[in-house]
Amino acid sequence: MDQTSRPNEADTTDWADKHYLLVDDFVGIRILLRESLRNLGARHIDQAASGGEAMKLLAKTRYDVVLCDYNLGEGKNGQQVLEETRVRNLTAPSSVWLMVSAEKSVESVMGAAEHQPDAYLIKPITEGVLLTRLNRVWHKKQVFREIDQACMEKDYLRAAKLCDAQIAQNKLHELELLRMKATLLLKSGEPEKARAIYEKVLAERDYSWARAGLGKIRMNNGEHEAARQIFQGVIVENRYYIDAYDQMAVAYQLMGQHEEACGVLEKAARLSPNSVPRQRNLGQAALKIGNVSMAEKAFRKCVAIGEFSVMKTVDAYLGLARVCGMKKDAKEALQWLLLAQREFPPEEIGLRAKITEGMVHHETGDYRRARKCGDELEAMLLEDPARPEKAICMELATLLFAVGVKDAPAGLLCYVVKNNHDNQVVQDEVQKIFDKAKMGDEGTSLILASRKEASDLMNKGVLLWKTDKLDDAVAWMRAARVKLPNNLRILFNSAQIIVSYLQQRGYHADLAAEAVEVLLYVDKIAPGQQRFAQLMEQLMQLTPDARAEDAPGAAADGALVPAVKVVAAPEKAVKTMRSRGG
Amino acid sequence: MEDQHSAPELFLFLASTVHDMKNSISVVSGTLESLLAAEQSSTTADPAFLQMAQMLYQTKRLNDNLIQLLALYKQVGKPGYPFDVQPQLVAQVVAQVVDQEKILLQSKGIVLETHCPPELIWTLDEDLVIGVLAHAINNAIRYTEDTIRLSVAEENGMLALRVEDNGDGYTQALLDAGEAAMDGLSAGVNFSTNSTGLGLYFSSEVAKMHKHRGQSGSIALENGGALGGGCFILRLP
Repeated sequence: MDQTSRPNEADTTDWADKHYLLVDDFVGIRILLRESLRNLGARHIDQAASGGEAMKLLAKTRYDVVLCDYNLGEGKNGQQVLEETRVRNLTAPSSVWLMVSAEKSVESVMGAAEHQPDAYLIKPITEGVLLTRLNRVWHKKQVFREIDQACMEKDYLRAAKLCDAQIAQNKLHELELLRMKATLLLKSGEPEKARAIYEKVLAERDYSWARAGLGKIRMNNGEHEAARQIFQGVIVENRYYIDAYDQMAVAYQLMGQHEEACGVLEKAARLSPNSVPRQRNLGQAALKIGNVSMAEKAFRKCVAIGEFSVMKTVDAYLGLARVCGMKKDAKEALQWLLLAQREFPPEEIGLRAKITEGMVHHETGDYRRARKCGDELEAMLLEDPARPEKAICMELATLLFAVGVKDAPAGLLCYVVKNNHDNQVVQDEVQKIFDKAKMGDEGTSLILASRKEASDLMNKGVLLWKTDKLDDAVAWMRAARVKLPNNLRILFNSAQIIVSYLQQRGYHADLAAEAVEVLLYVDKIAPGQQRFAQLMEQLMQLTPDARAEDAPGAAADGALVPAVKVVAAPEKAVKTMRSRGG
Repeated sequence: MEDQHSAPELFLFLASTVHDMKNSISVVSGTLESLLAAEQSSTTADPAFLQMAQMLYQTKRLNDNLIQLLALYKQVGKPGYPFDVQPQLVAQVVAQVVDQEKILLQSKGIVLETHCPPELIWTLDEDLVIGVLAHAINNAIRYTEDTIRLSVAEENGMLALRVEDNGDGYTQALLDAGEAAMDGLSAGVNFSTNSTGLGLYFSSEVAKMHKHRGQSGSIALENGGALGGGCFILRLP
């Protein structure tokens, strides 16, 4: 083949020395693609006929280019091979993944999956298309390389500036760079600047991602209904934009409208059924509104598609146990529980297996066994002062009330309210659990008291801060965090007060490290908060340059810089942001 | 929002059947292409050569139609194609079309001229536009004397992509079918016997999907043009 006459030679790289992997269950296609690659000069080409075979090869060799068919017959499909490869870091960030399919799927266009290949190719693939797309991906990776690097270091503002620099040189990638920049600005706590970008893009053309971006800004502001309307509008224009369905379901859930949330998730799951997290969310939403048959269908599908996937989740197994319990089939319910405990490590399950077991016994009328589970759980709570996350606390409280325990579940619910003292929807749900236990009035006063306790704790800290008793304020907030480890406002204020301290009293490495630790914890339990980025930025500015060795206290300061840069978990953030346009 | 309550099993079956067919066709056309490419570099002409070129042409037609069916009729009667516009270098789009058609054209002794501004960027669904242009070229192969011209120009804020040939031009029936396809009248087109009709319908759907600033794309069939034969025009806003 004549390669000298091809366009855009400046954008090409040498494809001959790269290591290639071809994955297709059809031998004819593999031969065809191998010939095409050889014509491009490729010498190192491995082949796999199934997802399993591909995983073995990927674990052995660091491939530069993977050409993978989506449809691989039995076992893993192409998307699952990609997901596992990315999660296990089997390819370098510079490697190219091309997904091959017979048709254009919703997933391929709307970026519905969390892990995206670099490009999709539709059969039949000719050499020209292959080379054009390979060069295009390679060129794009060069454009985004430094930006991705800055993202991995969670230095979003630098990444956003790098986007501007690239936009000036790359007209072709302007749109994707703008999309990236808007996401980065959102993460840096600059929603107004992000909004300006979305509006600028929308003035040019109606892009679903830009409109959905405006919706997300509204949602972060707590304007849930306005956000919901925007997502609804996106779907009316583009019924394949799956992300808008998922976001709309979140908006409904934040407003406590669970029927509607479930309906939206059901539609999304019908359009794009092969996502483990979406089927899980649907199952849980259906369970919440008592639609047992829908929950069962979603959880079964979730288990089935999760079988060969790294996204496999214990939630589906526990959900199915609950579903079977509600259908009075204790035997199957307990089988799912057993399966869950066999297939997932104990730390991933925590108290949930025991809670689910108790629920199943209670629902199938075995009150003696249900009570036994309750007693065991109560003992575990006494033994370990740490409390699980909100949803599990509420489930546990429901079970304990059902088996006749009073104090422990009331305590759990108070804990939930104290950690969410400004969240009315959560308080309404807690009230419902009290109502069901015939403790409505007692519940109401407990909720009020818990709310007051939390806001008093916070107000006292803020008062100390405002009256310049900074030492006392820092200590007070430290104690408040021990009492309410998951209260976002207390956590943020705690970090804020430390920042003030550092600003007014000078830099102190231990305190700065404490603030970073608090913030990283917030980012773990509630990712993507604007205050996170703002406070992180302020802390970074306060940190004396670690390279200034001769400055007093430099040795101690040095400890903080790596703490900020290294602890950040980069992978997920980068991958989600790079989802494609639609 | 509208719902589709149809049997998912049937869709899965159809999808996997089509998947198999496409694999087979890919292998057939790929093998034919590499055989023809080898033949062209040798000096002696094999009598089977022409027959092979004809086979490749038929295979491409079959593939074209399958692509159309998959793209537009997967949800029977409802165009449910996940439409995906991105800014693209138009010259790259043209290069990919040329590469797809190269062997077939060479084997039939047809020259393909291209004219495209090298830096022009346009926002379009690349796979669909490549499909429409490849289909138009496959169609022109039937009518041309010996030359086909693929040209790109920006005209009054629209992107105009032309496929012209130096044959006898379109018949009145086809010119009418072209207009009917744009009017959304499938009545004038007989899908069961007339693959040109299906191609025109497909192309007009692709054109209409491209919308920008209140304008949508269109197709047109004309006679005359730069080469004096038939001229297919795809205009995109």
